[in-house]
Amino acid sequence: MASVRTENLKKIFKKGKSEVHAVDGITLTIPDGQAFGILGPSGHGKTTFLRLVAGLEVPTDGYIYFDDDLVSAPGRIVVEPEHRGIAMVFQLWALYPNMTVYDNIAFPLRNAGVPKSEIDKRVREIAEELGLTRVLNHYPREISGGQMQRTALARALVKNPRVLLLDEPFSNLDAAIRDGARALVRRIQRERKLTTIIVSHDPADIFSIAEVAGVIINGKLVQVAPPTEIYDSPANETVARLGGDINVIEVKASDGIIYISNSVKLPSPIPKLEGRFRLGIRPEDLVLSDSAEAPGMTLVGRVKVKVSSYVAGIFRTLVSPIDDDSIEILVNANGYVEPGSEKNLLVRLPKVKVFSEKGESLTLPLKS
Amino acid sequence: MKESHGEGTKVKTKEGKGIGRSYIQLGLMALPTLFFSAFLIYIVAWNLWLSTLNWSLLHSKPSFVGFGTYAIVFKDLFFKVSIYHSTIFSLGLVAIGDAVGLLLAGLLYYLPNTQRAVYLSIFLYPMAISMATNGLIWDWLFNPELGFGWLTSHMGLPRLNPLATATSTTLSMFLVEFWAYTGLAVLFYLASFMSVDKSIVEAARIDGASGFKILFRILVPNSMNGFIVATALLFLFSFRMFSLPFVIGGGPTNLDLMTLVEYVYYRFYTEFFSESAAASTIITAIAAAVIIPYAVYGIRKWVMRG
Amino acid sequence: MASYRARLAKYVILQLAGAIVIVFWLIPLYAMLIDGFKTNFEATATSVFQLPATPTLSAYIAVWNSMKRPLINSLIVVIPVTLISGILGTMGAYFFYVLGEKHPIVSNAGFSVISLATFLPVESAFLPLYLFEYSSHMVNTYWGLIFAYLLFYIPTAALLMSIFMPVVPRYLIEAARIDEADHWTIFWKVVFPLIVPGFLSTVIFVFVMSWNNFFLPLILTTTPSMRMVPVEERYFTGGYGTLYNETYAAAVLASIVPLAVFIALGRYFVRGLAALGGGAKGV
Repeated sequence: MASVRTENLKKIFKKGKSEVHAVDGITLTIPDGQAFGILGPSGHGKTTFLRLVAGLEVPTDGYIYFDDDLVSAPGRIVVEPEHRGIAMVFQLWALYPNMTVYDNIAFPLRNAGVPKSEIDKRVREIAEELGLTRVLNHYPREISGGQMQRTALARALVKNPRVLLLDEPFSNLDAAIRDGARALVRRIQRERKLTTIIVSHDPADIFSIAEVAGVIINGKLVQVAPPTEIYDSPANETVARLGGDINVIEVKASDGIIYISNSVKLPSPIPKLEGRFRLGIRPEDLVLSDSAEAPGMTLVGRVKVKVSSYVAGIFRTLVSPIDDDSIEILVNANGYVEPGSEKNLLVRLPKVKVFSEKGESLTLPLKS
Repeated sequence: MKESHGEGTKVKTKEGKGIGRSYIQLGLMALPTLFFSAFLIYIVAWNLWLSTLNWSLLHSKPSFVGFGTYAIVFKDLFFKVSIYHSTIFSLGLVAIGDAVGLLLAGLLYYLPNTQRAVYLSIFLYPMAISMATNGLIWDWLFNPELGFGWLTSHMGLPRLNPLATATSTTLSMFLVEFWAYTGLAVLFYLASFMSVDKSIVEAARIDGASGFKILFRILVPNSMNGFIVATALLFLFSFRMFSLPFVIGGGPTNLDLMTLVEYVYYRFYTEFFSESAAASTIITAIAAAVIIPYAVYGIRKWVMRG
Repeated sequence: MASYRARLAKYVILQLAGAIVIVFWLIPLYAMLIDGFKTNFEATATSVFQLPATPTLSAYIAVWNSMKRPLINSLIVVIPVTLISGILGTMGAYFFYVLGEKHPIVSNAGFSVISLATFLPVESAFLPLYLFEYSSHMVNTYWGLIFAYLLFYIPTAALLMSIFMPVVPRYLIEAARIDEADHWTIFWKVVFPLIVPGFLSTVIFVFVMSWNNFFLPLILTTTPSMRMVPVEERYFTGGYGTLYNETYAAAVLASIVPLAVFIALGRYFVRGLAALGGGAKGV
């Protein structure tokens, strides 16, 4: 196992005359044995960062250390990928099409000169653990997507790597089997205490597997925290959106009250708030009710229902304040709500996030 | 030229007329290709017919002899020699050109982009020069006083004379052929290698595979396309060799080098026309035997998957 | 750091191997270029590898006089042949492509024929061709030459373009048909713009191959004024030529046009061809 540390890591690509700062000065330490998730919009540098750690890209600036060994420096690869003791699962799994599942998994061991009997033992062990025993003699084109993914995982784990790198490992799986795949990766990581870096644009992957997550936006590290903290206390609006659905509404604050509309208002979590701000509240932290009370919730006003639709176990309901039709708020309701009807809107106050007009969070918890 | 059975006749609306007219257009567009292809078949058939006669210097009023001319040809020393040469040149080029082409493509694969493009052009430029010219230059290079012989004698080695013996002449010609055509194999193997998904190669690197291992265990096994195209082209280009042995051999009748195509020419200018046509037909048959299965399977599989 | 040095060593060996191979490949070009600038005496006295002590254009001047007319003849024949085969051959390829789905037998047969036409040695077809042209009074005319060239190069172009055709997805053509476009429109407005790279490759290939074609002009021209470059070059070589420096100059002049085309446009040729060998992922 190894810890991974980067210092002011930068990667600049030249596209014709313009430069793209794919990774723009990232300093990060991932301790030995930690599952670290990297979240961010597509194309903002997550995969580039991972490839830099793998040694598949040369840093334009900055340093990368595995434990205390320098592996990458500005403009050069000090230790090549094959000597870093890493394993990588690619987005499209990169299985060798001309080899059977058995040979795919055995490949790294053969290259390392492991004796044949030992190879057989280890391949069969990992195949058993990942449920691949039945397909060992098949070719990648003959097996399902889930099996291909587990083969890629097996190939990565069979060499007992120091660091495991996963690049969007579930994005090519059917949605139905993703949960099972996530559970599998999580179990493997926890059991082996394997330093793992998983990159994904899907927050569900990060939340299920990572102990700590880093958010990369425009090549910069914007927030590093446990996933729940990123979800509840995002550093800015973009991070908030990355975490999941969120309503962001332009509001006015005065005298300690935040006004969504003239009649829909709530007490401000920040004392003495004045001016224009952006209010962030997730659909699951809102409730529609006929009563004025609900445990843990605060009444903020009366709304009219515009649309109610059923998606994946939730009734996504779009509502507007009765005195301002232009503001639309998404609420996760428990049941169908008749469009046109009026309901009370209640809010879970501790979950309210306030952002400045530029999107920076003003409700981050104080760090000691 | 061609009306479809379904759409064109049933739908008699403006649409229908458009489709019908369209098929005529299609036919017209294809006409030149079909015409010239048909004409070539006509020529091949004419060749076949001529070969069944006994038209030559000795029989200026030819008559039908069926297989008789072929019988004469098969017994002819020159024919046997030329078929032998054509075969070993072709099979030899296929074997060595494929192997070396593969290795060179592997070498190019690991080079930086601009250097790779330049090197590839260098491997291919012999095809831009006529084979007669190529033969000419190499003929000079094979000169014992002024060519390679000069080099080797100045290096303290015995003076090299590649055209001294029959065997060495054959080998020398083979060298020129190799130099001229291997570039094709390099091109197609390289293209095949580069079409292998980069992430597979990266995975192999991370799995500790060396350059050679990646070449032989990953790139080559996934390059069936390149192999088929390269092999077919190498065979066909070497099979039709005429000007090269002509120039290096000093004429079409050099017994060390004579190829089948030279035989056709030789019989023509010695005025044994039917023999010439017979040899031509044999060449056509061999070429067809190689190219047609390839065309039907290889190209069709490629085109039809679109 | 040991691995860094090992990597460096491997890279040096790679480059060294490449350099050796490249030098081998370039030797004939080198010889061809430098020996044309020697005086005849130098050409016979010095080896082909030695640079001329006193470079001179005398060989080139002498050769140019006889090469002038053949160069023009070659241009007159090869350029129209290239363009005509390119366009007509592409139409033929389009025909096979459109037909391929519903009438595979015709398509198959067509493919076989054009493939055979592409690879059949010219020499094996020349007797009937010569007889035909002789009886039609086409020998020693530009038309006769162009006709003979087209006979071989239209199918060649058709074959090469057939390989590039799949770049155009069938559903695009079907959509155009539903939009009531006729085949002529589809060909020029939908298909052709998408296959320009392949077209360039084909055209370059046909140009170079037809320029260097030795046999057709050999048998189909009978007067010196109609000779084309490859045949004219022959008169400076082997048994005919005794002025060795002129041999090289002739070789250079004969090759300069196709070489120039190859150098200038070669990358398109390589890109286009590489796409077919590799499954439409270019070099």
